[in-house]
Amino acid sequence: MKHDKQNTVAPLTRGFVKILGDEKRQSISIPLFAILLSLIAGALVILLFGKNPITAFLSFLQGSGILPKSAYAAKKSILTDLLSMINALTPMIFAALAVAVALKTGLFNIGVSGQMLVAGFMATVLVGYSGLPAYLAMPLVVIVGIVFGGAVGAFMGWLKHRFNINEVVASIMLNYIFQYIISFFINTYYINPVSRQSQPVSAAARLTLVDTAAFGLKMDIPLGFILTIPTALLVLFLLNRTRMGYELKVVGLNKRAAKYAGINVGRSVVSSMAISGALAGLAGVTLYLGYYNSIAPRVLTSVGFDSIAVCLLGNAHPIGILFSSLLITIISKGSNYMSSMMNIPQEIAEVITGLILLFSACGAFIKYRVALAREELSALKLKTELAISGKGGKKA
Amino acid sequence: MDEFIVEMRHITKRFPGIVANDDVSISVKKGEIFALLGENGAGKSTLMSMLFGMYEPDEGEIWIRGKKVKITSPAHATQLNIGMVHQHFKLVANYTITENIILGQEPPKRFLGLLPSVDIKGPNQKIAELSKRYGLEVDPRRKIEDINVSTRQRVEILKMLYREAEILIFDEPTAVLTPQEIEFLLNIIRELRSSGKTIILITHKLEEIKKVADRCAILCRGKLVGVMDVAGTSTKTMANMMVGREVSFALEKKPADFGAEVLNVSGLTVKSQDALPVVKNVSFSIRKGEIFAIAGVSGNGQTEVADAVMGLIPVSAGKLLLDGQDITAMSVRERTLAGISYIPEDRQEVGLVLDFDLAENLALKRYFKEPFCKKGILQDEAFAAHGKKLAEEFDIRSGQGISTVVRSMSGGNQQKAIIAREIELASELMIFVQPTRGLDIGAIENIHREILAQRDAGRAILLISLELDEIIGLADTIGVMYNGEMLNIAPAETLSATQVGEYMMGVKSV
Repeated sequence: MKHDKQNTVAPLTRGFVKILGDEKRQSISIPLFAILLSLIAGALVILLFGKNPITAFLSFLQGSGILPKSAYAAKKSILTDLLSMINALTPMIFAALAVAVALKTGLFNIGVSGQMLVAGFMATVLVGYSGLPAYLAMPLVVIVGIVFGGAVGAFMGWLKHRFNINEVVASIMLNYIFQYIISFFINTYYINPVSRQSQPVSAAARLTLVDTAAFGLKMDIPLGFILTIPTALLVLFLLNRTRMGYELKVVGLNKRAAKYAGINVGRSVVSSMAISGALAGLAGVTLYLGYYNSIAPRVLTSVGFDSIAVCLLGNAHPIGILFSSLLITIISKGSNYMSSMMNIPQEIAEVITGLILLFSACGAFIKYRVALAREELSALKLKTELAISGKGGKKA
Repeated sequence: MDEFIVEMRHITKRFPGIVANDDVSISVKKGEIFALLGENGAGKSTLMSMLFGMYEPDEGEIWIRGKKVKITSPAHATQLNIGMVHQHFKLVANYTITENIILGQEPPKRFLGLLPSVDIKGPNQKIAELSKRYGLEVDPRRKIEDINVSTRQRVEILKMLYREAEILIFDEPTAVLTPQEIEFLLNIIRELRSSGKTIILITHKLEEIKKVADRCAILCRGKLVGVMDVAGTSTKTMANMMVGREVSFALEKKPADFGAEVLNVSGLTVKSQDALPVVKNVSFSIRKGEIFAIAGVSGNGQTEVADAVMGLIPVSAGKLLLDGQDITAMSVRERTLAGISYIPEDRQEVGLVLDFDLAENLALKRYFKEPFCKKGILQDEAFAAHGKKLAEEFDIRSGQGISTVVRSMSGGNQQKAIIAREIELASELMIFVQPTRGLDIGAIENIHREILAQRDAGRAILLISLELDEIIGLADTIGVMYNGEMLNIAPAETLSATQVGEYMMGVKSV
């Protein structure tokens, strides 16, 4: 009776496990599988509305400038759409890298949104309204973002180390504190009465060149994007090839072993959160002084929270994060166009984006199930091999 | 055939990558003490787990009292009057002994004929009677958290008796006990036999088998090597069969040649996190070429002494001198560089980063120095070369060489990796805490040789062990700790095992 079970269940599982491959291949195959699952879930929702999921997915790509749309407004083309998508992609990459660095040290930086806000606000106030020329203002915006984001991160790390305050609790509470203090200042000193947001920063300080005329088009050129790939490579180098990265990883994997090896655990926690915060700061300035040019009071951006799922989908690996950020941004940017093209309510488009994020984050669960199935299979295989060799032995 | 109460026929059990039991057949007579002997990983516990219903065999049959049975769960095993005392006790700390024993089958009663509640009085009395009958000396009203390890074990025995077990399985029962407690336990086991119970004793300690067992089955790498009458077999024969080769019991220990003092500990006091003193005013010193062993029952402050010397826990009073230099205020890193190596008790949680590969782990204490790190940048080639060299020198075996993730290596090889790394530091002082815990005879032999070689090379060695044999066999000087105090320090040759055992129990004047 045990045999029946093997023959019915095993082939499907076996094929599945074989496709996902060994541990090394799984770092790529499992996120891909998670994406596949999320697309299937998204397709089911679209089907419920009686629409064709394939057309819907294509319109996601069209909306984000990957595929050409059937028609464009004046001075717009696929290039303007693509640049606009990249403009949104830039803060997402930095934010997901911020989550990854903390994660490698065993810390969960859920305060990326708050750190982004502080960095964005400080850069707005210190540089955005200063009237400095672009060649001074832009580098200053980046530096101010890094410094203030890093300082907030380091503060959270210090709270963790000095008072053993869980960084998740500290981050969430500090998010509120920053959000309300900053909205107080915006509402009191920097409010634009028309938009009900902070006064827009000067064009010289904005990291995105808006409405630049070129090739007969008007496009937004996100200068911040130039920094994303070198930053990802730098983070990769830091984690894998430096003494500091080695220490951060030991602390993340086994705190007791870190202490035993003579590593200063407190310093590692503070440094890791400082680096994470600095990256969040970069995300903040590319969002508030790039994608936008103002700050809405009493709103925390969702980028800092989405970046957690993006980081997990990218296996917390800097290169993986470049790809997962791209995917998620394509979907969130494309959802507008998809909803208007397919006549699906915008809310549903957001539900689909949410579903994709949800499934993306369940890679660890898939990995766990696959490991289980592999174990069972290898036990089975061994048994079969033994049975075969046993039979062969008798014949001989 | 009905003289056999338990028969396991042609049992085979496979786990991924290993065959834990390969066609093993044993038969146990009613009313005997049957020992299962074998090294760690030989498959003893697996075999008994199947008898207790925790696993099902892949092949083979189990017969109980002449009937073929398929034991599907521990509850089922209990119905068949089979009981097991596990290595790790399964007790609720803040419940009383009685509450623990009746857990899962509480006898109900109704308060004032209405409110349902649990009858405690009846079981209390029954357990007190059982305890008296078998000489277990247990007060059923006490809470588990207030009683010591040896009593907890007796609670597990009572639990089996209360559930009317006839076949009692003991999984390594003596691993956590002092010599005196072991004697006490063995007497209880004999008492159980004389009242007609059948006992299966899993162990790798030969002398216990020699003392109590009637027959003994020897397992080696999952296979049954033989079943023999204990009375007619020498310990040496059993050991050789168990390991599968010749074992030399005697360690070659050269006469001691002590040099200058390396470590001086004076008035060391350590407080736990709840500010209770766990080490009280302990003083001792270790010279070059000396093995100073601290004996004691687990949890009497020995590990804390080692941690305090290494700087892993804060010292609340006292002074530590290494080569005359005051290290009391130094960090772990500074102490490592000043010349302390440390082989920790918990090799997986402290000694290694399990998700790092072998090369990275072998450099855990040196990664920050040249050649491993130049100007903050790690040198992969240096890690690889160093890893290869150590793996070869110390015969560390792993699936994919130095890039094997340490988690996937065997316990013995993990320990070899730690020892290799710590020896390579060439420190003046080497601290070994429970260096052979959970390892098999072959690996233990190697580690003992290595410790002696380090001593002969002129290092000062602090050895902390719960195994009395290990301490007697290796130490030049023995200190015994009880309840945080160092009760006695004396040259090893002036102490007998019994004397050390008595100190371990807190008897101050021998």
